[in-house]
Amino acid sequence: MPNAKSPARRVTTYKIVQTVIGIIFAGYLLWRLYVVFIGNPSYGADTWARFIIAGLILGSVYALIAIGYTLVYGILRMINFAHGDIMMIGAFGGYFVFEALKAIPAPTQSNPNMNFLDANPILSVVAAFIVGAVIAALSGFFLEKIAYRPLRGAPRLVPLISAIGASIFLENAAQLLFGAQRRDYANPVILTRGEGWNLPIGGTTVILPYTGVLTVVLSILLMLGLYLIVMRTRLGRSMRAVAENKPVAALMGIDVDGIISRTFIISGALAGAAGVMWGIHLGLVYHFVGFIPGIKAFTAAVLGGIGSVPGAMLGGLFLGLVESLGPAIMGINFQLKDVIAFGILVLVLIFRPTGIVGEVLTEEKV
Amino acid sequence: MKKQLRHALNAGITFGIITVFLFLIGFTSIAADLLGDLLRNKNGGLFLGLTPQMLNMLIFLGLVGLGAGAYGSRKIKGQAGDPWGPALIGGLTAGLVHALFVGSLALLVGTLNLRGVQISKYLAEVLPASIRLFLLGKDPLPGAVIHLILLTLAGLAGGLLSRGIGRGSWRARSAANRKNTWNRFTQRSFFKQVRGNRATRFVVYGILLLLVFLVPLGAGQYWNYTIGTVGIYILLGLGLNIVVGLAGLLDLGYVAFFAIGAYTMALLTAPTPHHLLWNFWIVLPIGVIIAAITGLLLGAPVLRMRGDYLAIVTLGFGEIIRILSKSDALTPFNNGPKGVPSIGGPTLFGRLFNTGPAFVYLIFLAVLLVIFVTNRLQNSRVGRAWEAMREDETVSRAMGINTLSQKLLAFAIGAAFAGLGGALFASRNQFTGPEDFNLMVSINVVAVVIVGGMGSIPGVIAGALVLKGLPEVLRQLQDYRVLVFAALLVVMMLWRPAGIIPSARRKMEVEKDAGVVETPEEGRGK
Repeated sequence: MPNAKSPARRVTTYKIVQTVIGIIFAGYLLWRLYVVFIGNPSYGADTWARFIIAGLILGSVYALIAIGYTLVYGILRMINFAHGDIMMIGAFGGYFVFEALKAIPAPTQSNPNMNFLDANPILSVVAAFIVGAVIAALSGFFLEKIAYRPLRGAPRLVPLISAIGASIFLENAAQLLFGAQRRDYANPVILTRGEGWNLPIGGTTVILPYTGVLTVVLSILLMLGLYLIVMRTRLGRSMRAVAENKPVAALMGIDVDGIISRTFIISGALAGAAGVMWGIHLGLVYHFVGFIPGIKAFTAAVLGGIGSVPGAMLGGLFLGLVESLGPAIMGINFQLKDVIAFGILVLVLIFRPTGIVGEVLTEEKV
Repeated sequence: MKKQLRHALNAGITFGIITVFLFLIGFTSIAADLLGDLLRNKNGGLFLGLTPQMLNMLIFLGLVGLGAGAYGSRKIKGQAGDPWGPALIGGLTAGLVHALFVGSLALLVGTLNLRGVQISKYLAEVLPASIRLFLLGKDPLPGAVIHLILLTLAGLAGGLLSRGIGRGSWRARSAANRKNTWNRFTQRSFFKQVRGNRATRFVVYGILLLLVFLVPLGAGQYWNYTIGTVGIYILLGLGLNIVVGLAGLLDLGYVAFFAIGAYTMALLTAPTPHHLLWNFWIVLPIGVIIAAITGLLLGAPVLRMRGDYLAIVTLGFGEIIRILSKSDALTPFNNGPKGVPSIGGPTLFGRLFNTGPAFVYLIFLAVLLVIFVTNRLQNSRVGRAWEAMREDETVSRAMGINTLSQKLLAFAIGAAFAGLGGALFASRNQFTGPEDFNLMVSINVVAVVIVGGMGSIPGVIAGALVLKGLPEVLRQLQDYRVLVFAALLVVMMLWRPAGIIPSARRKMEVEKDAGVVETPEEGRGK
């Protein structure tokens, strides 16, 4: 670490400024917490419960996407800018599965107008997730092969620009293919949006939506699976080795390019599943649907410490919660929730670029 | 042989996917129309029972098929005198695979269409009319068979053609020829004399300037608007060129400073919401200064980061400014999402001019000023410090450069140029609102700098002309221009990462990098 002993005075000035800003911010936050909860409570327990439910659902989607960023960044040290658009492709994959299944008639004795989607909801949802994940994984694979692999070893800006180009390309290709209008996701009847279990909280009932529960449970399962793959399998060990040191990994007989391809396939599949969840829970897909979640998920990955898989999961959940609770706690307009997300990104990068559980990075990597 | 077959197979699949994609985004119909314009046969009669439009589409598909065959029959490393066999088989294989893709597409869409499925509900461009065109007005099966036969033959022809030309050797020979001719030309004493002469340079620049200043007089309102847009993008590009090209800091939120400049101009000169009605000439420098100060303020906390982190943080800043500018919180201050109308224009001798050639001249003047400043900066101590910092921050710090203040300076100057561009932009459009400042603007400007050539002034100008001017010329392809632009970005990175007109130093660096195997620790730091 040659930079550890850079001129002492400048570092202290910076540290002081950092601390002062930090204290001001923390003080403001405490004051707002006091106001909101004790001084002048403007929301009841039911509202808070709604915020938390929404935040957890959103957060688990962010977490799935964030894992993709983290895996790729850990291995290639590049931001896969097109990752959000891979999620969009997955969302479209699920959309088309639902549309196709809805068009297949499956009449029963009680209801002659029944279609396959409503007759076999579990099978349909599984099919949608599989198709979405597979299509997204394939897109990730080809994206890496076409736009990133030839640039291995180029200066760091070059693959980033290529990624930006790929991202815009995917968005516009989707717009030209599917049109610019927003499409409603046709859920099976048992997963109707807005319906769910009623929880009695604070005198009223709070809806715990079925789609949300599906999202959270499935994403936790996927994250567990991924964690096991990374930590317990041969593939995961190779991935970690490649992330640590590519030439040495190659010397140990690891097919580095193959591992990188597989990393893109895994992260693509997760993003695709996240896309289908997004569609099922929020109900809208269009060509631009992946952009904002993509950036948010990147924020989540940075928040948790980019390169760390558990960090990305935590970061995603945290960001989802902050986004839904933040405006209420800070007492600002809900239009500005994106500002909070980006503001957190900026603050984290300034104060703790290694994230919540990040590995100790040298300044060199930052 | 096996390798050859595999290559041909891959070529066929690639071209097949491309053709299917082109059909699905509706490009085949557009291409047929374009060919119709080109061949002037739009009003011709039927030929073999096909309308001119169908013929044109077949010609287009045939050309793609030729390409597939030619690419598929490419020898692994082309040498002259190869037997015809591989070329034949390669071309045939690639052509057949390509044809299979297109044929099954035709069969599929045709059948679905016959059954009354409304495909355009899901695939926006696959309209019944374009399906009819694609199937040449026939039933699905005959149409598909025609495509199959035609494209296989096209692939075969492509393979044979490429062998006939003796592609590899021809290319090598012509490259050598070109080099020779060029050398003979440049080695002549007359040319050397002219080239080295200062006076010639001034004459060339003079003629260029004169041409540039004559253009707006002849151009109509629409073209003046386009030229003005290109000029503003040159301003933005030159500003970002300082930040990205010279100092090596990737800023994806550059639009923030553009927005600051535009809003300063808007709020101080427009009748609503503040009714200040200040003079354009006073507001212009104010806008520049405010943008520069914002650059300092935003830059100070984030400039310690490097590379992609900085990119994302600046992107965040850009989005924050856009979201804030259209939020309810700021609506009393800046009209929120409605935007600010009737922004004031510049006056000269009591005459207002905010349209027509006069304003284009104003933009030109600004561009010249910015070029001058950039040029002086680039060749000064500051410019050298920036470039040193871009190459290696640690070493440049060891050389006594205060990297933090140099970065801030670069950020502030870049922001000032963007503020100038924004102020001019707002004044020219006489309206500005949050939607003028979306992320695409930042990305466009980055693309201008990258495509043109990082760190090179002529490169930025070329980049702005190519990315902002060319799409206006090809208006027929308007729907596809962002797609092409995005593909161009990737292709540029793959083939010519140094840009169209690379700066000498940058070119050297990229060429050097291409040959070096990445070592883990150094590679990460960059």
